[in-house]
Amino acid sequence: MAPLFLTSAEFWADQLVNGLTTGSIYALIALGYTMVYGVLQLINFAHGEVFMVGAFAGFGVLTAFGGEDISGVMITVSILVALIAAGAASAATAVTIERVAYRPLRNAPRLAPLISAIGVSVFLSHLVDDFFLNGESQFYPQIFPTGNVSAGPLSISYLQLFLIGASLAMMAVLYWVIQRTRTGRAIRAVSESRDNSALMGIDVNRAIVITFALGAVMAGFAGVLYGLFLSSIRGSMGFIPGVKAFTAAVLGGIGSIPGAVLGGYILGFAETIGRELLNEIPGVNLPNQWKDVIAFALLVTILILRPSGIFGRKETKRA
Amino acid sequence: MVKSRGHGSRWIWITGLVGLLAIGMAACGDDDSGGGTGGFTDAGYKTAGFKSVTVDKDQPIKIGISSALTGDVKGLGIPIADSAETAAADVTIKGHKVQVVREDDLCSAEGGPAAADRLIKANVVAAVGPICSGGTRASLAAYDKAGITHISPSATAGDLSSPVRPEGPYVTFFRVPVLNADEAEAQAKYAKDTLKAKKAFVVFDTDDYGKDLGEQFQKFFKAGGGTIVGSPAGYEKKTTDFKSIVSNIKAAKPDVVYLAGFYAEATPFIQQLRAEADLKSVPFISGDGVKNDEFLKAGAAAEGAILALPGAHGTEFANYTKKYADKFKGDSEAATFGPEAYDAMTIILKAIEKVGTDSGGVLTIDLKKLNDAIKTATLSGATGEIKFGNNGNRAGATTRIFKITNGKYEEVKK
Repeated sequence: MAPLFLTSAEFWADQLVNGLTTGSIYALIALGYTMVYGVLQLINFAHGEVFMVGAFAGFGVLTAFGGEDISGVMITVSILVALIAAGAASAATAVTIERVAYRPLRNAPRLAPLISAIGVSVFLSHLVDDFFLNGESQFYPQIFPTGNVSAGPLSISYLQLFLIGASLAMMAVLYWVIQRTRTGRAIRAVSESRDNSALMGIDVNRAIVITFALGAVMAGFAGVLYGLFLSSIRGSMGFIPGVKAFTAAVLGGIGSIPGAVLGGYILGFAETIGRELLNEIPGVNLPNQWKDVIAFALLVTILILRPSGIFGRKETKRA
Repeated sequence: MVKSRGHGSRWIWITGLVGLLAIGMAACGDDDSGGGTGGFTDAGYKTAGFKSVTVDKDQPIKIGISSALTGDVKGLGIPIADSAETAAADVTIKGHKVQVVREDDLCSAEGGPAAADRLIKANVVAAVGPICSGGTRASLAAYDKAGITHISPSATAGDLSSPVRPEGPYVTFFRVPVLNADEAEAQAKYAKDTLKAKKAFVVFDTDDYGKDLGEQFQKFFKAGGGTIVGSPAGYEKKTTDFKSIVSNIKAAKPDVVYLAGFYAEATPFIQQLRAEADLKSVPFISGDGVKNDEFLKAGAAAEGAILALPGAHGTEFANYTKKYADKFKGDSEAATFGPEAYDAMTIILKAIEKVGTDSGGVLTIDLKKLNDAIKTATLSGATGEIKFGNNGNRAGATTRIFKITNGKYEEVKK
């Protein structure tokens, strides 16, 4: 029996905030999937591992700053440095992956880079898990000040507020880069037509590399936020968030940046609220892992009803 | 806005999903599915496949250890394996050295039988392990079929040894630890008598160990007049996001939060629990899967946590402490189930000494006699007086309670 008190407004407000936080992380990662798909029509399966590299880079920085002992103004400094380091490490990883695993296959059949992406993904997660860490998890130091901001039934912890705010700010910056800068214009042009862009004098390879790097920076930031929020990180940590973010990108319409963000939030809400709603049914008590069932059921439903996603263009077949 | 060039079609999603599944299988290959491969329905072996083993002149006697040597439970598994090996170090039985064969069971239902298979192929005469309940359940039949007696130092799920004993498909299984039921009773008693808790919220790993321990705790807590608030919340291994469980706990307003699981998940759980202002100081109780030095990595969040550890110190404990420190630089107080593993190995060694027959340097060990010798063994070991009941469980045992104070485990008097 699901007790009645669980239906209190505070409880659902809490779960909404949880959904929003999870959704923010999915949205940040989903951007990388959607942008790379936009320019290359490639699903970069190694993107979850790019996120993982970011989380570890941030962990390294926070550990170097003193781990649990960081206090005062150094909290802000260390988190900022961790974010920058994570963005840089993720970007370097993604650019290397593009150079080594995708570019040589640029003109190969589409299945080839897909398999190559899976290979890179498995290689990276096992490299970290089996070679460096021997399968053990690492834990982010819990340095973020605890406390809540409340308004009516709504109560958000400082950390959740920071996570939601920071991810929105990062996405806004990315949107500005894509829409308002020359580089962004080049990326958009390449996504319209690679061949025509090349004819117009755009350095296509450069635009592709920058696309990978921008998506990776977002994933790297997401890695640090994830670590600060959930603490436990490991080599295979990128898999599930990676799949979820891919789902979010498909949900929103892959190739569309607002679609990826919206898809991330929808998925975050759906899996958090969905399980709790099912648990309200008397006699039902689903364990935490049912979140995944709900997320993927949503993916399948979307693929059946609207294969191109919420913001996706209807795809036209070409000869 | 980045737009898709649109010459893909629906198949790409299908390919994508297949690809993701492929990564999933590779990345999650070491997941614990949490049991389910029940050995008891498969009661095809009325008598174990006992054979006679001969060990040639100057050859070592091989004894297996099945433990988690990699992965998230290796923080428990390696001290267990090291402790078992400590007992066998420098032991000579009738002119033969003892060679310890270690296999990794990953603490999983898949890893247990795989390790059993490798040990059996390596011709061990007996084994210590597997270390987890899920892996033990899944490998009971394999050991039984091969006639290899194995003593688990740490598999604590209640139903591993019943209801099949004493008529006995799995006469080859024994275990040293205190069972989940005894541990849960001590935890429930502590929650009720010392913490004066009336409302408990239960969180559990959905594997054999967590489910059993969680249910046992609920049973004893309710029997003592307590109430379980909210619905018990299950999670699987490698879960990191406990936020929605924490929100459920917050809404249920318990006097105590109880977790049945392992430290790899308990660490992010306690950190997320303590990050919630309302739950900063609610008492937290957990058990032997969490009581480990690795859990101290949770830092300030773990402060004040109550951990129950079944077992007590026996006469051999000082000896074990010294030998374990000498050989592996190990800390016996930190090695949860280390003393149990040391005792399990000692029982095996003494039984081999008793039943092995020497003829011109060739040692013959009848595995049926070895099994009988273990069944009737009595030992004053590192965990106190040990003898086995009819069902292979240890007869009579105690549980100690620890509290994390200033980043260290301190035993509390009940």
